[in-house]
Parts: sequence; C-alpha cells; structure tokens
Amino acid sequence: MKPMPFDYARAKDVPDALAALADADAGARVMAGGQSLVPMLNLRLATFPRVVDISKIAELRERSESADAVTLGACVTHGEIEDGEAPEPAAGLMRHVAAGIAYRAVRNRGTIGGSASLADASADWVTTLLALGARFIGRGPDGEREIAAPDMFLGPYFTAMTDQELLVRIVVPKTSRDATWGYYKVTRRSGEYGLSIGAVILDPAREHASVVLGAASRTPLACTAAAAALRGAPRWTEALETALRTAIAEDLARAERPFEPHEAIMVETTILRAAAQALGVS
Amino acid sequence: MKVSFTLNGDPITADVEPRTSLADLVRGEHRCTSVHLGCEHGVCGACTVLIDGKIARSCITLAVSLDGAMVTTLEGLADDALMARLREAFRTHHGLQCGYCTPGMLITAHDLIRRKGALAEAELRQGLAGNICRCTGYAGIVAAVAAAMDEHETTKSAASIAAE
Amino acid sequence: MAAPSAPPALAAIEAPRPGCIGDRVLRNEDARFLAGHGEYLADLDIPGTREIAFLRSPVAHARIRSIDMPPGAEGRVFLLKDLGDIHPVRAVLTTPGFRGSDYPALAADTVRFVGEPIAICLGATRAAAEDLAQEIVVDFDELPPVVEIEQALDPASPSLHGWPDNICFVSTPGGGEVDAAAKAAAVTVTREFRMARQCVVSLEGRGVLAYWDRRLQELVVYSSTQQPHVIRTVLAKLIGVPEHQLRVVAPDVGGGFGVKNNLQQEEVAIAALARRLKFPIRWVEDRREHLIASPQAREHRVRLTAHADARGKILGLEAEAVVNAGAYSIWPWSAAMEANMVAGILTGPYAIDAYKGRGVTVVSNKAPLGPYRGVGRPSACFTLERLVDEIAAKVGREPHELRIDNMVRPEQMPYRTVTGKLFDSGDYAESVRQVAAMIDVPAVRARQARQNGTGPRRIGLGFASYTEQTAHGTDEWIARGLTEVFGYETATVRFTPDGKLIIEAAIQNHGQGLETTLAQVAAQELGVDPADVVVRHGDTAVSPYGMGTFASRSMVMAGGAVGRASRQLGEKVKRIAAHLLQVKPADVTLANNCAVAGARSVPLKSVTDAAFLHPENLPAGEDPCLDETTTFQPLSGTGAFAYATHAVVVEVDTGTGLVEILDYAVAHDCGTMVNPMIVEGQVQGGVAQGIGNALLEESPYDSGGQPLASTFADYLVPGAPEVPTVRIAHLETPSPFTAYGIKGMGEGGAIAAPAAILNAVNDALRPLGVELNETPITPKRILTALHDARTERAR
Ligand SMILES: Cc1cc2nc3c(=O)[nH]c(=O)nc-3n(C[C@H](O)[C@H](O)[C@H](O)COP(=O)(O)OP(=O)(O)OC[C@H]3O[C@@H](n4cnc5c(N)ncnc54)[C@H](O)[C@@H]3O)c2cc1C
Ligand code: FES
Ligand code: FES
Repeated sequence: MKPMPFDYARAKDVPDALAALADADAGARVMAGGQSLVPMLNLRLATFPRVVDISKIAELRERSESADAVTLGACVTHGEIEDGEAPEPAAGLMRHVAAGIAYRAVRNRGTIGGSASLADASADWVTTLLALGARFIGRGPDGEREIAAPDMFLGPYFTAMTDQELLVRIVVPKTSRDATWGYYKVTRRSGEYGLSIGAVILDPAREHASVVLGAASRTPLACTAAAAALRGAPRWTEALETALRTAIAEDLARAERPFEPHEAIMVETTILRAAAQALGVS
Repeated sequence: MKVSFTLNGDPITADVEPRTSLADLVRGEHRCTSVHLGCEHGVCGACTVLIDGKIARSCITLAVSLDGAMVTTLEGLADDALMARLREAFRTHHGLQCGYCTPGMLITAHDLIRRKGALAEAELRQGLAGNICRCTGYAGIVAAVAAAMDEHETTKSAASIAAE
Repeated sequence: MAAPSAPPALAAIEAPRPGCIGDRVLRNEDARFLAGHGEYLADLDIPGTREIAFLRSPVAHARIRSIDMPPGAEGRVFLLKDLGDIHPVRAVLTTPGFRGSDYPALAADTVRFVGEPIAICLGATRAAAEDLAQEIVVDFDELPPVVEIEQALDPASPSLHGWPDNICFVSTPGGGEVDAAAKAAAVTVTREFRMARQCVVSLEGRGVLAYWDRRLQELVVYSSTQQPHVIRTVLAKLIGVPEHQLRVVAPDVGGGFGVKNNLQQEEVAIAALARRLKFPIRWVEDRREHLIASPQAREHRVRLTAHADARGKILGLEAEAVVNAGAYSIWPWSAAMEANMVAGILTGPYAIDAYKGRGVTVVSNKAPLGPYRGVGRPSACFTLERLVDEIAAKVGREPHELRIDNMVRPEQMPYRTVTGKLFDSGDYAESVRQVAAMIDVPAVRARQARQNGTGPRRIGLGFASYTEQTAHGTDEWIARGLTEVFGYETATVRFTPDGKLIIEAAIQNHGQGLETTLAQVAAQELGVDPADVVVRHGDTAVSPYGMGTFASRSMVMAGGAVGRASRQLGEKVKRIAAHLLQVKPADVTLANNCAVAGARSVPLKSVTDAAFLHPENLPAGEDPCLDETTTFQPLSGTGAFAYATHAVVVEVDTGTGLVEILDYAVAHDCGTMVNPMIVEGQVQGGVAQGIGNALLEESPYDSGGQPLASTFADYLVPGAPEVPTVRIAHLETPSPFTAYGIKGMGEGGAIAAPAAILNAVNDALRPLGVELNETPITPKRILTALHDARTERAR
C-alpha cells in the first residue's frame, strides 16, 4: 500500500504555494497535515504529480482575536485548538470538537483548513464551522475573497474554492459570553468519523440559535426550523421537546433525499441531545 | 530527494523518493523496526512515533516533509525513565501478547501520561483509542498504563515536595 | 484407534510451586517486544531482497482472456507458467461426497474472487513493485458472480467448479429420536440466525520471504505462519522440493487467530519462484490485501428448532447450517470445516439425546473461508444460546436457570454426546451459578425494573454457555476426514554443558506466552528457573517434527510433550546426581537448579558438566549428554473439553442503536492452569474479538462480488473504549485425558461473547417487541428493528 510517485515541494509562503497551483496542467495538490491526503495516496485512491507542502507557511499558522471574531490560519492543527493554543470563540465548543476528532496522533498534524478544504460530509469542522457561521478566506490568482459558511460546502469533497485557490484562514465569529452549545456525535468506534453529528449553539444575548446536522447527508444540513424552536427557549421542557421533534421533521423533509427509518431515528436523537446539552441537560 | 532530520538524537540525511513515508524510511535504512505497520492509513497506531515531541502516525507522514524535525522512535526512548516504568508495568500487567501493537501503544501511553497526568479509566481508554491491539482485549494495557500513571504522579509530587 | 501416550503419567498438580505449573510467572518473551526488538517478517534484513506486490483480480468472477505485460516486465513479472512444474492446492476431505476443486497458486484461466493473485511483481521497493503491477493489463471475460448464500444454494446459479451445483459438501450428524421428541414437546421454537462474514485481522498481516541457500542447498521459506512443519510438508509436495531441502521458519508473528493456520497461495507461489531466482524475495501483506484477500471467516445461516417440555428441558434439536465458504477449499481444513463443525457441536454443553443436523457448505465468488478463533463454535453457540433464551422466554423462566437444568451433570462424565464427542470432566452448571452470582442477577433485574421504559436507554442481561473442544486427538481429525492427522505434538528438551535448558518445540508462539509456559512445565519437572529456559520454536531446522499452534492445542500437546521429555530427562539427571552424591536415585529430587538428597545437594551445573564434558564421572553404563525428545497424544482421541459461561450486562441506546457493555463476567474451566495470568489474557483477548463479532465487524460484498470493507475505516475492530475489563472466575477440573490435567482454552473467550451480547440486547428490547438474530448488531439493524416493531404495534 504505497503511493504512486510524485514530486514534492515545500512552499515557503502563500505566493509560493499559489504559484505552484497556478499551472493547472502541473496537477499540483497542496498538503497541509497530510492526514487525509496521505492515506488516499497510500491507497492509490488519489494520485497527483506534485504535492505542495503548506504546513510550514508562517502566515497559515497564525491566529488572532478581535472584539467579535477569532481568526485561525488554515494550518492551525486540531491538537493546538484542543490544547487551547488558539483563541476560543465559542465558549469551549471549538476545543471540545477538536478533542473529539480522530486520535491525538492524527490531531497533532491534521489541520482545520485541511478539514474544511477536504469537505468530507462527516468531518467535525464542516458541521461545526457551519453552525458557528464561520467565513472562509481563500486566496487565488485574483487575490482574496471571503466565502460564507453556507456557500462553502457544496457537496461531499466539494467546496466553493477552485483548484487554484488556497484556503488561508477561517474567521469564526465570537458568541456572546453566556452562549451555550451542545455537540453530539454518534460513532460506532471512538475516534472515527461520526455517523451523525448534531451541533447546537444558543446565544440568547443575540437572540440567535443555530442547529446543524452533520454526517447524515451529502452536506451538513442547517436545521432552521429546529433553531427557530430553540430560539429564546429558557430550559428543556417536554413541550419544547415535542415542538423540536416537529421542527426536526420539517428540517429533515428539506434534505436532498429522504432518510431511511433507522437514519431518521438516529439524526433526530442527535439533534435532540445536542439541544438538551445546550440547555444544560445531559 | 534529500531530507535531513534528527533521528533518536542522531542527525541523519537521507535521499528518498518523495512518496516514502517516515515509517518506511526509519524502518529501512535506519533499522528502527520498533515502528510497525498495521494499516498504512492512519487508524491502527502501530506506527506511532514522536515528531518534535508530539506523537504522530509515521505511516501517513512523508519523510521529505520532516526537514529539520526531531524524530523519536521507541528505540530512542531506551533510557527514558517514564518509558522504563511503562515497560515494567506492561510486563507486570500482561499488557502484551504478540507484541505487534506494543511499541505504538507504549509511545501513546507515554504521551498520555506526560500530557494528562492522572486520568480516570474512561479517559485513559479514550486516550488509547487510536491504538488497536488485536490480542489482549486491552485490560492488561489499561491496567499497566494506569499503574505507570499513578507511579509517575507520585514521583512527580514527591519531587515537587522535595523541591519546596 | 491410535495408541495413547505411554507413561510416565503426568498427574494433575496439587499445590503450585513458584515458577512451575500454576504460578503467575511473568513472560520471558516480553523483554524483546517491549524494547521494540521483536523481529517480524517485514523486519528481516537479508541483503539483496526484492519486494513483491501481487497483481490481484479486481473482479469476482471472470475468465482471463489475455495478460498484457508492460515494457520492462521481463524477469520482474511472473505468472503461473513461470513458476515451473507445480501442483495446484487440492484441499479435500476423505469423506465420501466431498467435492474437491483445484486452487492454483496463481490464477491462470479463471479468477473466482476479488483479490485472487494473478501475478508476482518484483521491485527494489514495495512501491516500485506496486507501480509495475498497476501497469499490467488483464483482459477479463466477466462471468456472472455467485455472491450470497441464497444464490449459491440456487441450482440455477452458474457453477464455480464444474460441479452440478455449488454445494461442496453436506454432513448429517445426529442421533436419537427427534420425531418422538417433537411429539412429546410442550413447546417448539424455531429461528433463523445469521452471522456475518468477517475478516480475521491479525495486526501484522501475512507475509513470506524465500530464497535458495546455496551453501546448504536448501530452499528457505520464512513465513508468518502458525505451523511451519506441516507447511514444509505440503509445500514440498506441491513444488517438488524434498523436505530435507526445505526449511520453513516462522519469525516473530504478530498475531494469527487462524488466518496464518493455512497453506497460503502466496506461500506456494513465492516458494516456487524463489527456487528459480538468485536473490531473496519478500511479500508483506498490507491491510487492504488482508481485508479482501486473506482467508475470511463465519458467514453462516443457521435454522434451528428446539423441542422442549413445559419447564424448558430440551428434548430434541433440529438444525440446518449453511456456510458460504467462498471460492476455494484451503489446505488443510477444506471448505467444509465450518459447516461440519457448526452442525457437529450444536447440542452445546447440554444433555440432548435427540438431534438431527445438516451442515451445508456452499461455494461462491468471495474470498475463501478459513479458521478464525473459535471456527464454527461462535456461530453454533450464538445459535443455540439465542434459542435457549427464546425457550426461556416462552416457558417464563430465568435463562440461566434453564441452562443449569439442561446441562450435562458432573456425575455423567465422561459423557458421550449425541454427535460422538467425549466430554471429559467438569461441572458445567457450576459455571452458570458462579457467573450468575458474579453478575448479580437480582441486582440487574432490579435495575432493569427501575430504568427500562423511563428513557431511551434500556438495560439487558445475557448469558451464554459453551464447551470448547481443544487439543483434538487423532480420532477427531480422522473423523473429520482430514488428509493429514494432527494427533500429536513433539518436543526436545536439552541441557547445555553449563547447566541451562533449551526446549525445542514444533509449535509456534505468537502471543500465547509459550516461551514462558513451556518453561514452567520444564521447571516443574527439572527444578530449573523458568526465566533461564530458552524455548526455540517455529523453525523446521531447530525442532523435531510437529504440528503447530492452532485449535487451542499447544499448551496441552506441546506442554505434554515437554512434560514427558523433562520427566524422562529428569530420571537421567537423578541417576547422575545420585552417583555424584553417592545416594540412591530414588532419593534425589530436583529443585532450585540443584539435585537434592536429604541434606546433600549438587548443582545441576555439576550434573551437566559430568554429562557433557566428563563422561568419566558418569555412573557405569550411563550414556553421555542430556537431551530427550518425546511426543504427546491425549488419552482421548477427541481431546479435552474446556467450558465456560459468560454473563454480560448491556445498555442499548434506542435513540442511536449503540450498545454499551456495562459489565462482563466469565466463569470458566480449562482444567489445570499452567499460568493463570496468561489464561486471563487469553479470555480477555477472546472476549474482545467476540465483541467485535457481536457489534462491529462485518465484511459485506456488493451484488457484483466486490468486498466493501477494504480499510479500517470500513472494517471496525474494537478499541480500548469498546472493550471492558472482564471479571473472570476460574474453575479448575483437571482433564483425565491430558498431562497434568490441562485443557486448551485459547479460543473460548471469542466463542460465547456474540451469543451473550445478543442475548443481552434481546433481553433489553424484548418488551418492545424486538428480536435480533443477526451479527453484527449494528445501529442500523437495531434501529430498523425498533422502527419495524413500532410500526407493527401501531397496526
Ligand atoms: C484515523 C483517522 C481518523 C479521522 N477521524 C476524523 C474525525 O473523526 N473527524 C474529522 O473531522 N476528521 C477525521 N479525520 C481527518 C483529519 O481530521 C484530517 O486531519 C483532516 O480531514 C484533513 O486535514 P489535513 O490538514 O491533514 O489535510 P490534508 O490531508 O493535508 O489535505 C486534505 C485535502 O485538503 C486540501 N487542502 C489542505 N489544506 C488546504 C488549504 N489550506 N487550502 C486548500 N486546500 C487544502 C488538500 O489538497 C487535500 O485535498 C481522521 C483522519 C484519520 C487518519
Ligand atoms: S500503520 Fe500507521 S496508523 Fe496503522
Ligand atoms: S499484543 Fe498483539 S496486537 Fe497487541
């Protein structure tokens, strides 16, 4: 199980990387942590003539914080977020999510930008960043552009970015201080990708709630009806649960395909439990 | 393609194809055969090593990407006190059978103890979740890591009391 | 019937002595593994070795029209025709009615499963060899594949091997009056059970390295195998190299569990090719190859009917077991091993006098089936034990009490089962009583009453009992119709002139701790320190002929051989020591590396010095040197039967379909334990694999015969969070048929876990109208069943 031959180049900065990507015929592919790319290469599921390593580009490793957002360079690792070596925008949600991705040895190299760029429908960051309303900053031959989360993830392994663009950073809006969240990931074996992920953020100070269902369909599903049911809800009640179930059914009906009965049970559970957790019930 | 890094304390320079994994490089020319390959796609943990002091999968790390890095395999931890304690605990608690998962398990446990100190059993098991053992059913491994963790915590607190 | 082993009789141990049989001796082999110095096949460093990648079939069933070689293939790509005059593997049973088929080392005309090897490609590195394999173009004329059991049973399906249909063998074990039992029965329960196809997943894959040794004029074959001697025997026949010019070595082996307990096509192809090359060649199986092309396991469909009286006493059983054995028969077991075993042991630990069984082996376009820990037993146990619970539900009794009532009683031992097995000893019901006490049935029932129905998580309790036939003797292998009879084991025990001991055994140690336990047996007889004993094994050049490590046999068989050889050697040591001490040999005992007679003693070192270097100090007529080779066979040709009952408490999450194991207890009896620490490790490891079988592991195929699980992302094996630490109670009833009363036990843990867990899940969900009889019991299966039951209730 060894890759096909390829060339390797280490980009020293973003322009260097963009130059490598500019020549479409060269078939270059960037590598961040390599934690998804190298397994694919090993399995010969993917082959690229040229791999451009962006993991050491200083700009992509930067992280900063402003009054209303946290900005993470694309090559910040899951492990760094887990360890609090990056500012936390969402009352601990990002740290929690990071700690639940794969295993520590993978988290030490895998990056948030790599995850977002790969756009595996089951990936934790894809769901989480959508729930947080993150913005993705891509840079290409024509300069920078910003892509809002709902426009970013177009399908499994398919984002709004072009092959000539590099994801350089991710801007995550801060929640207010007393915002709460719930994150519920169903896996059969710990550390694996989720079968279903529910992410719920409740920010009463901003009268905002967001609910995203991940992993269960081709792209994460923004559950707007569930979010509406949760907005302003002070605590978990039976009435709320009933309302939520109805709302979830409404949201699921908008998915690109009908859920099989067993899937419907699981995804409903996932969202309900994430919501309950956000309201302090576990 | 040339790459230079430190392997178990020794500077090395290797001329490898870019597709060569770190595991294949250190196992081959440098005979660090404690690094085992159980899947080559990042799941089983048998190939776990330290890169710049952090655990990583050597099967899905390209050797050429490690210019200037510091790589440590189990061979490089022969004289490490915590690792000696872990080896002893693995033997006492029957934490190994065929031995194939063992080096990766030891390196992961070593990292877990250094990073986390005392852990409840459930967390300890989570910390080992990325290392598959097909033989032992984990009971001996979990007991061994817990014992080494306890001892490590005790000596650490003894040392800090002594320092005061 | 083969002659049983002659004296000396090795009696069961009364009180364990330190370092000897019964002691928790820490393992001799640990030091090298803990240092990372284990040497597995991929670690061998033989100059000039070229690496192999196999070109494997990407299609399930096709005729090969042509193979187009890329430029530069000369001397680097080898097809069947390039391997010289070799025979295809033909693994058959001698039993009438068995349909044989040829399994060529490399497919030349027809491929019959995805992953079947077609060509050997060589490269300086594995990567280069893979590049080459990728460039070969094979033109396939695809044939319709036969994939699932139902297709294989359909006479209209294409025949794989030119037989009238795809049925390889049908066995019909049984006896007694089933019809009478059916008439007398108050309750009759019938169910169909399925156990999914699995992969074995040793953490180290298979592998072979071979070269021609010019000095010794022999072909050296390193293989990650469990049975080097018998592999040599069959390789010699197939590739035409006489056995005395063929050496097979198993280096450190990173787990076997049965998948390395077969002749492998790759072994044949590589050995045949190496004979013709001037340099060593090596193949290291990667994970994808392992998951799709290694011998796989299980895939059973069993229909079982039980007739019982109103209290649940089972009066008779009727069973049909169909096993999808894949494309070929593998040597030596044949395709029929699984179905025959399932049908042959379905009466379990129970005294059931009437049984009508049918074991059907079908072939299909999937990877061949081979042994995996437990072989047919996990499925037989799952089937029977699930049905026992359904009987209990029907007659309204606690399942564990029903088990106790049905079991063979101690006073019935030795007990001949309706299918002809001879249970040797033990109190089966006691294992149920003990484990029921450990798991605390009333407390679990109370917790269920409190918790179930109040939320999504439901508690369930499950039991499963089994007997495990181990150390099968000559009669068993003959009865099974094997072409080779694995009825004995051999060992040489030799002192060195400096007073240390070397054991040379034909078994292969790959995790079982035999480098320690065999030393303990020698310590028992010779008074040596087990830490000082070297056990050499796994190499046809270092030990006498023997059979290898499988079927929970090594401790009983090789332990027996080491015990006999040591006992005989000890007699000689005592004679020499008596001469040196000027006492009678009968007054000498061996302990603490000394020969002792009353207050006088002499170190073993002086005895060995006399034996090897100073024949002038030997008693008159005593030959120099100190070594002994003996064989061992159990007194019963069907071996020794270990047994156990497992109990498990699970929590089923009806919202996610996930099953969490809250408590797991085992009460088991493997006779005399040589090393309880190692026994517990085997139980625990077996249970972990059983948990995988019950909850996670499945190798599904699509309708075109493509295997869908080819990485660890799709084929899930349990990790530390999924496996609880099992609480274990030991019963210790020595076997009357083996040395020291030892029974084998290596497979047991894996046998009962699927049954116990499925029983527990069903116990949790029964009030909701759900019944699940298929492994693995995935979230999808549980949630679908819950949904269906809900829909049913709503109607
Ligand atoms: C055993 C295992 C278990 C895992 N479990 C989980 C899990 O539970 N949840 C989860 O979310 N993930 C999981 N992962 C995936 C892991 O999180 C990866 O780290 C991540 O998906 C990819 O990040 P990376 O930095 O390694 O990217 P790489 O592998 O380097 O790249 C991935 C893809 O993104 C592209 N890319 C990377 N960076 C950029 C960029 N800045 N701009 C444009 N394109 C870019 C690459 O070209 C490539 O196509 C698992 C991985 C493994 C090996
Ligand atoms: S070999 Fe690297 S994780 Fe399995
Ligand atoms: S000891 Fe064999 S895989 Fe862990």
